[in-house]
Amino acid sequence: MTKLSLTINGRALGPVDVRDELSMNDFLREYLGMTGTKFGCGAAQCLSCAVIVDDPDGTSYTSPTCVASAVSFDGKTIRTIEGHARDGELSALQKAFIAHFAFQCGYCTAGFLNEGQVLLERLAKAPVKRADLESTIAEALDGHICRCTGYIKYHEAVRDVILADSKRYIVANQ
Amino acid sequence: MTESMRPSRRDFLNWVSASGIALSLSPLASAEAAGLPPRASLPGRSNWNPAANGAGRVDGVAKVTGAKLYASDFRASDLPGWPAKTSHAMLIRAPDATHVYLGMDLGRLTGALKPSVVVTAADLARIGARVPEFYAGDLFCPLGKTPIYLGQPVGLLIFETFDAFDQARLALRDGTFVKFGEETGPVAMPAYGAYRFTRVAGATPDTPDVYSPILAGWVSPGRSQSSPLPIWSPAAKDTEAAYAKAAVHGERIRGELAAKNPNLLVLDREFETQSVDPMFLEPESGLAWYDGRSGGLELVLGVQSPYEAADSIAHLLGEARAPFKPARINAQFTYMGGGFGGRDHTPFVLYVALAAMFFPGHPVRLAHDRYQQFQGGIKRHPFKMRSKIGVDRATGKIRAFAADHVLDGGGLANFSPNVATVGATAAIGIYDIPKVDVTTVALHSRGVTAGSMRGYGTLQTMTALEVLVDEVATALPLDPIEFRRRNALGPKGRTMTGNPYGVSVRTPEILDKLEKHPIWQQRARHKSAAPQGVLVGTGVACVTKDYGTGADCSLGRIELSPDGKVTIYCDHTEMGNGIGTALANRVALHLGAVADEVSVARVDTYDALGLVTSGDPYTMDQKTQDAAERNPRWVPAISSATSASIGAHVGTHAAAEAARVIFRFGLWPAALQLWGIAPNDRRAKDWSKAQWKDGQLVLSGLAPLPLPALAATAHARNLVTGAVAHSFSRWDWSRARFPLFGEQYRAEIDALAVRRGGGRFERINRLNVKFPPTDNNRIGTSYTSMCGTLVRIEIDRGSGALRIAKAYSVFECGQALVPEVVMGQAQGGFAMGVGYALLETLPPFEGGPGNGQWNLGQYLVARGSDLPLHDLEIEMLPPLTPDEPPKGMAEVVMVPVVPAILNAIFDATGRRFQSLPVTASLLKGVLA
Repeated sequence: MTKLSLTINGRALGPVDVRDELSMNDFLREYLGMTGTKFGCGAAQCLSCAVIVDDPDGTSYTSPTCVASAVSFDGKTIRTIEGHARDGELSALQKAFIAHFAFQCGYCTAGFLNEGQVLLERLAKAPVKRADLESTIAEALDGHICRCTGYIKYHEAVRDVILADSKRYIVANQ
Repeated sequence: MTESMRPSRRDFLNWVSASGIALSLSPLASAEAAGLPPRASLPGRSNWNPAANGAGRVDGVAKVTGAKLYASDFRASDLPGWPAKTSHAMLIRAPDATHVYLGMDLGRLTGALKPSVVVTAADLARIGARVPEFYAGDLFCPLGKTPIYLGQPVGLLIFETFDAFDQARLALRDGTFVKFGEETGPVAMPAYGAYRFTRVAGATPDTPDVYSPILAGWVSPGRSQSSPLPIWSPAAKDTEAAYAKAAVHGERIRGELAAKNPNLLVLDREFETQSVDPMFLEPESGLAWYDGRSGGLELVLGVQSPYEAADSIAHLLGEARAPFKPARINAQFTYMGGGFGGRDHTPFVLYVALAAMFFPGHPVRLAHDRYQQFQGGIKRHPFKMRSKIGVDRATGKIRAFAADHVLDGGGLANFSPNVATVGATAAIGIYDIPKVDVTTVALHSRGVTAGSMRGYGTLQTMTALEVLVDEVATALPLDPIEFRRRNALGPKGRTMTGNPYGVSVRTPEILDKLEKHPIWQQRARHKSAAPQGVLVGTGVACVTKDYGTGADCSLGRIELSPDGKVTIYCDHTEMGNGIGTALANRVALHLGAVADEVSVARVDTYDALGLVTSGDPYTMDQKTQDAAERNPRWVPAISSATSASIGAHVGTHAAAEAARVIFRFGLWPAALQLWGIAPNDRRAKDWSKAQWKDGQLVLSGLAPLPLPALAATAHARNLVTGAVAHSFSRWDWSRARFPLFGEQYRAEIDALAVRRGGGRFERINRLNVKFPPTDNNRIGTSYTSMCGTLVRIEIDRGSGALRIAKAYSVFECGQALVPEVVMGQAQGGFAMGVGYALLETLPPFEGGPGNGQWNLGQYLVARGSDLPLHDLEIEMLPPLTPDEPPKGMAEVVMVPVVPAILNAIFDATGRRFQSLPVTASLLKGVLA
């Protein structure tokens, strides 16, 4: 058993005792009831289980939770799909996913949402050239598996959020 | 064997099962109390609306906020009235099917890790559990027997706490605790089904066929005692006359193809397809609780076939000894994280129920991990095919086609006989061929069970056909699209079972689109301009795929509130196909407003119809149907699985008909009242001239009426404000008349109940019901949709890496209810086709998924980087007429992608691959 403390969607949790081998995915789903984070493969191949990790230096990245132990998240700050909307108002990316019919069954949506959000935040800090936008999105989302949609509408949704606020995400004069 | 033994796609179901266990089925209604979304609300009205006209998926907000929707999301504590704690079960499967099973050595589970309950074959025998016929075979392999397939369950371990379960599964991960003894080799079992489809057309298109399955019935050969393979020869001893007749015609066709005839180009080719997994992203999961005291078995399941799941569980426990027979079963159904056929008739639900029955008082969750899903989940059938085609060299017309299909059905029969027949009757694709002879047999093997999966046999047989056709065009030579045009079946032409299609046939239009597309027009230029070290090729294919099973049901209930809010209930299930959104849009055509609430997987809200059923709709004879239909509550079947691309066409039909009744007998008379039009005014019958525009009912020269005003009037005047309808399709809808307000209302439904004002639903007894004739069971395909695909590929000579540079698919689907969902399905079908053609494969036996060691990473599916995300153009043809009904399209869009890629590979490399998948390493090998 190890003491675990972390922050999830802005709320501090712990310290709680957890078994060392308990996966982060099971910690979220079985112990916290936060089933928005999905279990797909248990091998970090589909990334339906990915959450956002916010580093103290202000950068963020996604991490699979199925092969990572819960205790490896000790001291970390994470965001899950349950934390994107604020006061009932959906995020721009959530709205875009709906408006584009980006998902079908929706089981991979949490992973795509987290990955897309991290990309938006990264581009807000380090904008890209317009000509590189499509390949940047493709690279960012490529680790995620969707079996229903063929990915196109996910990509279009992310792209349209960026283009709708292009001053923020795109290098000027390109 | 004759047609009376034709396999049923589904056993019929009764409201109360034969076992005497009361069944009730509902979506997760109790979750409502827990603040969860049991019904999907449209993201409009009170909430943010992504599109002003009410577009957007009804489940959109729930899915982007992580709401509990899927079976795998629910625990006992989420469900009001359930005990708080959830126990966890683990299904143990055999990784060996050639040695005697000796038992599980659970010695490594000590102390807290010891399971609370272990369930084995002996326990099932002890309690008197019965295996439903559809799943015939031991649910658990008994001690001392060789498993009949790799991945056959041997036991169920139940742990009271998640901690114990979690640690135990780690300890058992390597699978070596399942013990085997003497080598026996695989267990031999009879074939699951064998059929022969033979057709000989008359001398001209206008003359009757000489022989066809429609005329003579479906036939099966006899079987030898010593071999699982059937005896196809007409001359064999004990051959039944009906079969011999088909076989004599068939052998004659084969003789013509074998004869030396310089005017006939004959190709004789083999083609082989692989086993693949549907790889839906949510592994199968279920939650169950048997409250031993009250006798109720509660279940939370996510399947495509809710009625079947509940009925199979009732059968399983129907004769069990006390206390293992529940007094009632209450099954609740959730959204699914993908299905693709693999959740239609899955045996998984039986084990969920058993877990609860053997640990009474404790809610038990059974959930596959991905290894277990590969090990035990339903697979796509591998086919071995040999096809012979004869083409008149002078005219380029196909004269004859003969093929032999052998399917590996794996360990249990499941849908193998049906996949065999659907694949066989699709074997001539879009073509008009006067002489056809196709044999098919589905065999048992020790592989993981194969069953329903998107394409359902036609993906395999039409891939082989379209690759063969491409080779014919090259050999003649004739342009591949011109060859297809000359041979395409016209709207009145006969399919290989001898019937014409019952819907639009738009092959010429699709071929024209393909021919004019820049990918096709510029194929030579791109090939010759290929950069050094790169091979460029272009391929085309065009197919047609049936939708519907030949016995499909539709149930719908609509309620209109006094303030004009629309609520829809439907029995079909949501697996990503957007059924709820399609329903809302189809009903809006009649009621002028997108529904405020849509509830799918509802099988509990149609009591007012009081439906009863009997017999098997697929095999029933006309006399039996005629006698049964005298009972005004009888229908050939009550509810169908959500499968076979029937969501749009079937799933929304009854709801649309119910909406039509509300319009005609509720909103229209209310409008007359508000407009001040007297009943004897000639305009009183102009309901078909009225139109909805921006939520208002418009009739020329009169003030537009908003829906809320009409709804309020309908309620105040006690007019029709709600309707429940059922219909049945056997390649045609049932029809009946219903006495309503002094007239006999005709509709394509067979049961109706209506509500007046705020009253209760009351059944309207039908008059003159016409169910589709039972002879329609001889039809192979009547409802069909066409799709064509072009791809241009680039292959790196050095590595064999293949890139799809450009692609185009064009298809028709009648009226698209939710165009965005239709386009999404087409894009997803393209991706799945690419995976099937180039990436996905599972070894059949040892070393395959039955060993429990397979996962993603080893099994490759298409990722974004495998696809032409910015270079895939999809065109959906507009409906032929504004009122053309919706046609199923979710399967057909996947099929032509595969042969188009293979034909492009030939164009690039000069090499025809005769098996799937064509991996980069295979390409590298032939290019070396």
